[in-house]
Amino acid sequence: MKKLFKVLLASLLCLGLVGCSADTDDNAGDATGTPETPVLKIAGLDGGYGSAGWEAVIANFEAAEGVSVELQLEKNIAEVLRPVINSGKDIPDLVYLAVGATGGLTEAMISEKQILDISDVLDMQVGAEGVTVGEKLLPGFTDALTSSPYQDGSLYLAPINYGPCGLFYDANLLATKGWELPTTWAEMFELGDLAAAEGIALFTYPTTGYFDAFFSAVLNSVVGPEQYAKLMTYDVAAWESESTKEAFALVGKLAGYVEENTVANANGEGFTKNQLLILDNKAIFCPNGTWLPGEMAEAPRTEGFEWGFTSIPAYTEGGDAYATTFVEQMYIPTSAENADLAKKFIAYCYSDEAAALFYTNGGAVMPIVGNEKFITAEDPNSLYYNIYNTGAKANAVGFAAIEKVEGVDLTSADGILYGTVNSVVAGTKTVEEWHADVVEAVKKLNK
Amino acid sequence: MKRNKEKNIFVALCLAPALLLFTIFMVIPTLNVFYISTLKWGGLSANKTFVGLKNYTILFEDMNFIASLQNTILIIVIVTIITMVVSLIFASIIVREDIKFKNFFRVIFYIPNILSVVVISSIFAQIYDPSTNGLLNSILGLFNGEGWTTIKFLGDQGIVIYAIIGAMIWQAIGYYMVMYMASISAIPEHLYEAAQIAGASRFTQFTRITIPLIWNNIRTTLTFFIISSINLSFLFVKVMTSGGPDGASETVLSYLYSQAYTNASYGYGMAIGAVVFILSFILSGAISKATKRDVLEY
Repeated sequence: MKKLFKVLLASLLCLGLVGCSADTDDNAGDATGTPETPVLKIAGLDGGYGSAGWEAVIANFEAAEGVSVELQLEKNIAEVLRPVINSGKDIPDLVYLAVGATGGLTEAMISEKQILDISDVLDMQVGAEGVTVGEKLLPGFTDALTSSPYQDGSLYLAPINYGPCGLFYDANLLATKGWELPTTWAEMFELGDLAAAEGIALFTYPTTGYFDAFFSAVLNSVVGPEQYAKLMTYDVAAWESESTKEAFALVGKLAGYVEENTVANANGEGFTKNQLLILDNKAIFCPNGTWLPGEMAEAPRTEGFEWGFTSIPAYTEGGDAYATTFVEQMYIPTSAENADLAKKFIAYCYSDEAAALFYTNGGAVMPIVGNEKFITAEDPNSLYYNIYNTGAKANAVGFAAIEKVEGVDLTSADGILYGTVNSVVAGTKTVEEWHADVVEAVKKLNK
Repeated sequence: MKRNKEKNIFVALCLAPALLLFTIFMVIPTLNVFYISTLKWGGLSANKTFVGLKNYTILFEDMNFIASLQNTILIIVIVTIITMVVSLIFASIIVREDIKFKNFFRVIFYIPNILSVVVISSIFAQIYDPSTNGLLNSILGLFNGEGWTTIKFLGDQGIVIYAIIGAMIWQAIGYYMVMYMASISAIPEHLYEAAQIAGASRFTQFTRITIPLIWNNIRTTLTFFIISSINLSFLFVKVMTSGGPDGASETVLSYLYSQAYTNASYGYGMAIGAVVFILSFILSGAISKATKRDVLEY
């Protein structure tokens, strides 16, 4: 009897274990969908534009298509999705996460070739508007390296939410001091000297992560579009060239005009303090995207503060001035179950109806023809989107997909190309050392 | 004989669940880390290439890794020495001396341990604020005249790692103090009385009675120091500096994270993990061996 009891007890313990690991698949049937109504799973970043736009667009899509959509937006979506994608189960049908977003998930998906070719979406009709997606999208977006990273003419990542990244400043400060808005770098540094005499720094940046938009525009204006395209494909000769060095030297000179506390605050914890510097009139310019006024809406500011927005100055008199076009992406993982439905949803996102919903619920602007319908002249956002109508050229940022090399991080926010800016500003590295490090990394990536 | 066999079966059956759990959740994942470290793998696809020990050869030529390893060792050494000395002294004072508000101090010192690292990091971001409004800088400003520039605790590449060490020590003192207090309280009072009669000073009592009698406890905490310094430094660095400025505060685990995820080099990240695993084992083993003494009975 005793023996039987012992055996029973032991098997009970083992059973408990098995119970723990038992698959809970029997709950799967309880999900919102049934075999008749397919479920589209969307996962994405809960970012500056919020979730209201997505919810509104999804509600309309559900009604129109008779499907069910599960939306999961998280601030740390890269961390949330990584194990899901690794496990191969419950993979979202559509992921909304930009190239360059924290966590590097999208870059990993690109370099691991885990993103579905969605070129056929370009031929799909946008609702009942009588145009195809390819016709509806603004030119230049689908062949950018952020959408077509393998340069094979196919579309992999659908562009969404575009906005210019330029330099923000206090328009009132410049007006009251009688300072002209600089159009060239020479004028920029002149202004820097004038401001320094009054104890105001010329420049600050939230974190080095913003240099992808800022420095790429500088590079483009200094080396020209042809060589810039080579830079983005890791061409060693282009990176080694004298003109590229000049762009580095320009940032090196700008480093001398950076507000002194910038480096100390250029991290996830302190970046808003750097953004605050332009509201406090302690620094004039700060590179950022259109979400900045919203992000700093509650922050205290000097009296009379008025948002101003301009492109990166031209390298020479009469040269091209650029403002980087920041654009986010959404894509379908190769192992998504409802790829066709996801494609339909992407096409729907480019409809006027969806674009209006995205814009009125969070301010996101879709890269489609006919945007001016939403952004009227009275709209405060017109200040930013008008930048391209007032002489600035659009600069696309994004490197070609390349096989990752261990220990060589060139392009992330803290990577060699942008992260080293902190050292240049702090004075612990020279521009020459920075340039040499970048060239060495590009060579390693080309091996 | 039969009884003995039955007993063995029973013991084996009782141990089986725990062993099974240990194997599933500890042994297999650890072995897996070593296996993945021999692959070139981005971490997401089925596209894995066996590269043998190549990740390790890259690792030992990677100056960023060497720098992060140096930072980690610096953190372990300084955090351990300062935290141990300070918490031993505090523990001894609170237990041995007749001071007021004993329990109050006990609670106050322990509070940082209840707070999450993210909260502590935010507190220290304010303390280290580089502007004249920063807590430390405004105090330092009192002693410095006009034209003094504030200290950029998190912006100066030579200081930033010490700034993180400061936050880590502040966080750890209470925890170790409570551990030391527990064993100091267990030392019989008569030993101290006898020492006092023999004319031993407080300091002599501390070094000749307290320390030798809680030696075993100190040894245990040394292992804790190594493991927790490696782990916690990752959290502090991640929140306070993201490894910056320009990698100056990178530690092995934050470097592992940025390589495995941001740089999509999962195999390489696991090679870093394997090195950290072996290193912490060796370090703990060496320290345990070096501090081995006969346990004093009382």
